[in-house]
Amino acid sequence: MELKEKLVSSFLAFENKGNIDLDSTVHAIRLNAIHNFEKEGFPTKKDEDWKYTSLKPILKEDFSLFPNAEKSVGYKNIKDYLINDIDSYNLIFVDGQFNSFLSETTHEDCDICVLSSALARPKYKMVIDNYLNTISNKKNSLSELNTAFVKEGAFINIPKNMIVHKPIQIINFSTGSEKEVLLQPRNLVVVGENSHVQIIERHQNLSKNTTLTNSVTEIFVHKRAIVDYYKIQNDSNESSLIDSTFITQKQQSVATVNTLSFGGKITRNNLEFYHEGENITSNLNGISVLNDKQHVDNHTLVDHKSPNCESHELYKGIYADKSVGVFNGKVIVRQAAQKTNAFQQNNSILIDDGATINSKPQLEIFADDVKCSHGCTIGQLDESALFYMQSRGIPKKEAKALLLYAFANDVVEKIKIPQLKTLITKIIAKKLNVQLGFEL
Amino acid sequence: MLKVNNLHANINGKEILKGINLDIKAGEVHAIMGPNGSGKSTLASVIAGKEDFEVTEGSVVLNDEDLSELAPEVRAHKGIFLSFQYPVEIPGVTVTNFIKTAINETRKAQGMAELPAKEMLQLIREKADLLEIDRKFLSRSLNEGFSGGEKKRNEIFQMAMLEPQLAILDETDSGLDIDALKVVANGVNKIKSEKNAVLLITHYQRLLDYIVPDFVHVLYNGKIVKSGGKELAHELEEKGYDWLK
Amino acid sequence: MSKFTEDDLKKELETKEYEYGFYTDIESDKFPVGLNEDVVIAISKKKNEPAWMTDWRLDAFRIWKEMTEPEWANIRYKKPSFQDISYYAAPKQKPKLNSLDEVDPELLKTFEKLGISVGEQKRLSNVAVDIVMDSVSVATTFKKTLNEKGIIFCPISEAIQNHPELVKKYMGSIVPKTDNFYAALNSAVFSDGSFCYIPKGVTCPMELSTYFRINEGGTGQFERTLLIADEGSYVSYLEGCTAPTRDENQLHAAVVELIALDDAEIKYSTVQNWFPGDKEGKGGVFNFVTKRGLCEKNAKISWTQVETGSAITWKYPSCILKGDNAVGEFYSIAVTNNYQQADTGTKMIHLGSNTKSTIISKGISAGHSQNSYRGLVQISPRANNARNFSQCDSLLMGDKCGAHTFPYIEAKNKSAQIEHEATTSKIGEDQLFYCNQRGINTEKAIALIVNGFGKEVLNKLPMEFAVEAQKLLEISLEGSVG
Repeated sequence: MELKEKLVSSFLAFENKGNIDLDSTVHAIRLNAIHNFEKEGFPTKKDEDWKYTSLKPILKEDFSLFPNAEKSVGYKNIKDYLINDIDSYNLIFVDGQFNSFLSETTHEDCDICVLSSALARPKYKMVIDNYLNTISNKKNSLSELNTAFVKEGAFINIPKNMIVHKPIQIINFSTGSEKEVLLQPRNLVVVGENSHVQIIERHQNLSKNTTLTNSVTEIFVHKRAIVDYYKIQNDSNESSLIDSTFITQKQQSVATVNTLSFGGKITRNNLEFYHEGENITSNLNGISVLNDKQHVDNHTLVDHKSPNCESHELYKGIYADKSVGVFNGKVIVRQAAQKTNAFQQNNSILIDDGATINSKPQLEIFADDVKCSHGCTIGQLDESALFYMQSRGIPKKEAKALLLYAFANDVVEKIKIPQLKTLITKIIAKKLNVQLGFEL
Repeated sequence: MLKVNNLHANINGKEILKGINLDIKAGEVHAIMGPNGSGKSTLASVIAGKEDFEVTEGSVVLNDEDLSELAPEVRAHKGIFLSFQYPVEIPGVTVTNFIKTAINETRKAQGMAELPAKEMLQLIREKADLLEIDRKFLSRSLNEGFSGGEKKRNEIFQMAMLEPQLAILDETDSGLDIDALKVVANGVNKIKSEKNAVLLITHYQRLLDYIVPDFVHVLYNGKIVKSGGKELAHELEEKGYDWLK
Repeated sequence: MSKFTEDDLKKELETKEYEYGFYTDIESDKFPVGLNEDVVIAISKKKNEPAWMTDWRLDAFRIWKEMTEPEWANIRYKKPSFQDISYYAAPKQKPKLNSLDEVDPELLKTFEKLGISVGEQKRLSNVAVDIVMDSVSVATTFKKTLNEKGIIFCPISEAIQNHPELVKKYMGSIVPKTDNFYAALNSAVFSDGSFCYIPKGVTCPMELSTYFRINEGGTGQFERTLLIADEGSYVSYLEGCTAPTRDENQLHAAVVELIALDDAEIKYSTVQNWFPGDKEGKGGVFNFVTKRGLCEKNAKISWTQVETGSAITWKYPSCILKGDNAVGEFYSIAVTNNYQQADTGTKMIHLGSNTKSTIISKGISAGHSQNSYRGLVQISPRANNARNFSQCDSLLMGDKCGAHTFPYIEAKNKSAQIEHEATTSKIGEDQLFYCNQRGINTEKAIALIVNGFGKEVLNKLPMEFAVEAQKLLEISLEGSVG
């Protein structure tokens, strides 16, 4: 059976299993979403937004849709994927199910817990009704697919005037308990006025079996709130990820999303920012360092709807072997959004013949009093700098790595959690296959 | 020639000029000095007709004609020239092309035919030499990438080309080293005659060593609080502005 | 006297009717409306075409029938009904003339009004002019000089008769019949156009020029241009267009093919000022053009365009840089005002090594118009050391218009070096005041600033064209203030 049919036909069983209340908001949301998905199906290369990324090779697998969670996973199996030397809240999911043993949640002052319990408890009905599935893009059939099976994921609800001092790590593990697994985590993040939160998200396959993750995150950033979100994408070559993240910002808020991509088979990021208020700042940073046949597709959108807002976008990519990078950045400045400052930059380096970059930085401007620019460069390492370093005794491989690291560094520098910055530096050094005798 | 009568002006509802009176006759050089924020640049802009400012009371009269309702370009046609404190960049438009347009538009307004290309070229050369301006400079985009000195020299070059009746020099000395200052002052002195007048706006006295004023006015908080001869400038240099408050 | 405010300017702009909007009263020999195989055959027959040409057209027609009209995200318009268009119109008088004196005085008057008097151009600027009045060429000048050099410059209908080997070899080789909907349509029904062949090693001694006009109400115009620069040759070709005011939409779907063989250089310049529709957005020309050039080894093709007209412009002059060291250039100014929509840009396909391309695109939007740059830079795996530089700048005037940039950049070779920059800005109040203070009124100041903004492109135009282009920019923009 084709994956689409399999998904549609298992929808009823999925809902029944959860003893669903037919009057609940979530039931209506799911029902509508499965209809949309059934109508649209999976995107193909004929869709302009999927021109450079084909899902065909991964969709042919016979995915298990509701895997059993491997119970025997313990701390020793996962510790390499946690940032251990910081005090953090941890939301650990194994094969799509929450693992309370490995997690550290809280309900003190704020809620850092899981969506399934929020959906089940009347206490959270208001939050669910107000926010769930309100900004997820209905035209995105993959988000609709996720919504149809919305059930589990992180639920983060921060009230007004609260600085969450510990970062939150959300990690989705797959154990290979089934040969091919489809996971669909769903995260909901609501950050109240004047509050501040840092979130690190990661998907990790612990086996050599195939995993496809179709993740959706909705983030609501209220007045003057600050959200820093980090996505670490360094999964195995058997794992593919479709990540859709939707962010709505209110006035004077600052939201930053850092997408750090180093691994996985096919990774597709849809990152969309919507402005509702003045003096909003949105930051989009990205690094991709790829090799083998890895494929990372970054689709971003910043929709400037109100005046006096800013967006800053910087994506850098280093592509080796037969890897493929795609950057599709869209900035829309609507008629009302006068005095917008929107900047977008995409710089790429191709290291090997066979590597590909497709870049499409777009500006759609409907207001005149704006400062908007985009830039895109594709190039190689500076040969003269390389020679200079070699002549000072630095071996070519290290010199090259150093230059590549320097190229990526202005994005690394934007990481505000020192332990995470160290980790990313290490991952980059490993990807570039060098051991540098000093701390980068 | 120029009479400013009880001039009041607002920007965004805030009163900047609070009753200015000035009487400038042909052949005279007037200097307006004052601390930052006293309204010096506003006065220059209002005389030139900048729309951001709202004149609430009083008038600016040039040769018995009230300028109040006239557009900036019409004032320019009638002989008002403002040397900008921060000259504006216009990418892709060369100095030559710009001044050519300015001259011909002014001639057109005065009912004269366009200046023939050959005469224009000659005039440009003559005035460029006066300001010690390199020929190559003339084909660069207006003010784009110009140094502070180049910008100011370009302003005075345009003044020499347009031969205004009243030249207002707004902080023309700021950002100039001493050599550039001498070139600029020398240019102004050569253009100065019995038929025209100069209004210098400056924070410091040093420009006045090179362009000697007949009258010095001190502007403070939107009003002229003291007027005198050139010796007043020296007094201000020594004592600062505080004693006038 | 009151100030000339922005509102006054806007008003004046709106009341400024299409300056070159007049109608030449020449009788036309026109086909009934509609399109089928019989019409295609009739067009071919009327032109006395050989059988191979008729078959070529019919093949194209069959391809076209199977195609659907494309849709684009950024262009909105009422699609023309292809069965309501007359597919052939030719001025009634004898098409072959030996000198300008024989041209209909009415026609000459038209050109006089446009400020492009043929006689004057002939005298002053040494330009050979092949006027395309509606669809058939009515006058060709400077033939003799060109003949001496072995240059062929004639209507394409004549080339089909006299140089079938060249036409057969190259027509459709760069823009195949199957390329797109409008190219297929053009291939089936093309009326006429220019043909040019520059022999090996010859530098064409003068700018070649064609003025296109759409003159007959309801007549679609389907020009076909084929330009071949043989090895080591050079040619500069100018194309300029104006059209009379019309109430209904007029379709124009031209195809231009350029072939630059080894070491050849082609400079192709266009000033386009077709009727853009009135201030309500009514009427105006639909301009769906396919322009493409092929560069062999060390060859260079340079497209320069100043687009001020048409209700809808859909146009991507492109270069296929096939040979090593080939160079492609695209310099464009696109001005849109009122309800105009322009979607224009270029494609630079790098196939050979050391190929270079430069893209400079300047978009100016005013009124309610939408102005999009859409471009592709593609570096194939074989194209070592390919270089591209792109600069796309937009200038907005008023808050009802839009400026959009959609560059596609695809690199599959590690030695590629690509730089793309885009900026958006408006004319600053401080710039206007500065100009005003120097005695330059706002309208003139805008013209000055806009000409400065477009300078890098205007500089690429041949001298005699640059003047006209600047004039057009001023006319199209008078009164648009941000």
